[in-house]
Amino acid sequence: MEAEAAKYIGAGIACLGMGGAGIGLGQIFGNYLAGALRNPSAADGQFGRLIFGFAVTEALGIFSLLVALMLLFVV
Amino acid sequence: MANDPIHQFQIQKLFPIEVGGMDFSFTNSSLFMVATVAAASAFLIFSTSGRGLVPTRMQSVSEMAYEFVAGMLRDAAGSEGMRFFPMVFSLFMFVLVANLFGMFPYFFTVTSHIIVTFALAMLVILTVVFYGFMRHGMGFLKLFVPDGVPAALIPLVTMIEVISFLSRPISLSVRLFANMLAGHITLKVFSGFVVSLSTLGAVGIFGAILPLGMTVALTALEFLVAFLQAYVFTVLTCMYLNDAIHPSH
Amino acid sequence: MNSSSPDQKDDNSAANPPEAGLSGRRDQLNRTLNERKQEEAAVSRRSTGSATGYAQAVKMSSEFIAGIVVGAGMGWLLDEWLGTSPFGLIVFLLLGFVAGVLNVLRAAGQIAEPGARPPKQDDRSD
Repeated sequence: MEAEAAKYIGAGIACLGMGGAGIGLGQIFGNYLAGALRNPSAADGQFGRLIFGFAVTEALGIFSLLVALMLLFVV
Repeated sequence: MANDPIHQFQIQKLFPIEVGGMDFSFTNSSLFMVATVAAASAFLIFSTSGRGLVPTRMQSVSEMAYEFVAGMLRDAAGSEGMRFFPMVFSLFMFVLVANLFGMFPYFFTVTSHIIVTFALAMLVILTVVFYGFMRHGMGFLKLFVPDGVPAALIPLVTMIEVISFLSRPISLSVRLFANMLAGHITLKVFSGFVVSLSTLGAVGIFGAILPLGMTVALTALEFLVAFLQAYVFTVLTCMYLNDAIHPSH
Repeated sequence: MNSSSPDQKDDNSAANPPEAGLSGRRDQLNRTLNERKQEEAAVSRRSTGSATGYAQAVKMSSEFIAGIVVGAGMGWLLDEWLGTSPFGLIVFLLLGFVAGVLNVLRAAGQIAEPGARPPKQDDRSD
């Protein structure tokens, strides 16, 4: 296989990692919404933690985006 | 293909003009930009030409537009921000009229091209940067250094604030562009369903009622989005201008 | 004109100089007018605030993605310019991610704008 083709295939596979981040984000926001509907008065207070969880989870997705970008533009 | 949802966004050259190897052709996009400016100016000039103390209907519409933008600018940037009123009002009218023009069938939506919205956003951001430096000199850079940050973290935080600042024109333009593009594609796809279902005979015509109702509802939503996006664009412009006038508070 | 006087007290005080009753009535009218104005403002603010959840979603995600795109772009340009490949891309993409989260928090009104005046904060919910 040519190295060029392997690079693009690798970038595509690396993007699968973002799907995992997507699942995680769905869990976080879904659970936040479920909790917020049970106790709406407490929801606003937990918004900061929601964003914290979002950021930490999305960071892992960003790592796979980084790997994909590096395969495409740097290697 | 008649049902191609992307076809409406194609740029066609009406009068090919080429200057020094660069393409300056007058396209359908330019035609509709000219039409937008002409319609907005003509409306404002004709509606206010009476200058009645008791406004006519048209005059009160343009007075409402004036009051709306002026109130928004005064709220966000203070009375000092009113010196930017001509720019903000022109931007608001341009985006609003261009969005509403796009709602006519067979018309071209100028704001559904990212280069147009990006140019508008860059106009805003460059105004902010130039005015900020002109007015405050290097003091404008205080915008990037928040108060109460430990000294060790200042380089990192400043870098993040700079990136956050630079991302503003992108998010400003992408938001307007994505809303208009997505809305018009959805509209076209649903109305395409009506056509392709109604060719399927009696059952198809009956089934076509559903996407037809959806198209009507989406058209109403698109009018709301057209106004809302012009509003959001203007509000954010006012907030960014506020940064140029009062960089640190 | 007592046709729509809000209470009878004004009529009782008509023996006094009429200005007292009139100004009292005007104050009351002003008060009700103010209340109604505030109600209307609250209603209109609420309706623009939650006009379409879709617009809100596009706003948030465009803020987030813009941060990442700008960070990656800056890193890539620095790499091209200084020849520090690939570290510029790595560092600036992560910084751009942080800036994106910051943008989202600002758009949600959780953190003040850098140039914001504190009492103006409720106006930021565009």
